[in-house]
Amino acid sequence: MPLDDAELVTRVLVEDDQHAFAELVRNHQSAVRGLLRQLARNDLGLADDLAQETFVRAYRNLARFRGEAKFSTWLYRIAYNCFREDARKRKELVGIDENQLEAEYDPQTVDPALRHDLMHALQMLPIHERSAIVLCCQNGLSHDEAARVLEIPLGTVKTNVLRGREKLRKMLSAWGPA
Amino acid sequence: MDEQLQEDWLEARLREEAPYIDDAGFTAQVMQKLPAPQAKRSFRGVILIVLTLIASGLTYYLSDGGQFVLQAARQIAGTNFLLLCEIAFVCGLLVTGFATSAAIQAARHR
Repeated sequence: MPLDDAELVTRVLVEDDQHAFAELVRNHQSAVRGLLRQLARNDLGLADDLAQETFVRAYRNLARFRGEAKFSTWLYRIAYNCFREDARKRKELVGIDENQLEAEYDPQTVDPALRHDLMHALQMLPIHERSAIVLCCQNGLSHDEAARVLEIPLGTVKTNVLRGREKLRKMLSAWGPA
Repeated sequence: MDEQLQEDWLEARLREEAPYIDDAGFTAQVMQKLPAPQAKRSFRGVILIVLTLIASGLTYYLSDGGQFVLQAARQIAGTNFLLLCEIAFVCGLLVTGFATSAAIQAARHR
């Protein structure tokens, strides 16, 4: 019978069981890498480096995980912090303003496939809206959980999700339901 | 209504856009980067040995040079040989039972 996250965390802490930690990595690698890929604008190499850093940090700081939030939420928070620190180093955290957004979005140059368009549209969003959309709409976190991950007020998360979705809707208006 | 439809459509597409990413050696790479397990187990062993030595010394001192061991040995020497064999057999069975059960538990958790 597979063990749940809390049991695996206990095994790592009490018995220093690295097999249990490997199980945690296997269970959450897809979601964490997916989140970082979106945040890193689909730079797969950077996203995987940050994902590795996320899990190494999680291992080092596992004793600080109190179990108040879900383990996945705690991991997303570490992942987001890793991304933010890296972006700060690269000075990319400024985001993209509206003018840049319009300048970059040229329907003529976008691949006709919806998937490509959606990815492109997501990557056009400023970082705060993109993170909120990816966490809430793709990773299924509640607004409250996303607020904890991003360390911003709940109201700001809701606003960012609304604004982000509105921009996506406009950018993808050509695709909508028939 | 159209807006709601489009919202639902967008929501569904966003969920679809998060496919499962195959591990492809990622977990192994992470495990290689983890710091080595802490040496607290070796400390635990040293502490246990020291405590055992202290307890043995105290017992020897408080039991007047371990007289109770000699008394027990004399009692065992006077006991029926067949009864001793039976006790040894039952103890062997109990130890084997505990060891098998612990091995099965450990194998399940691996």
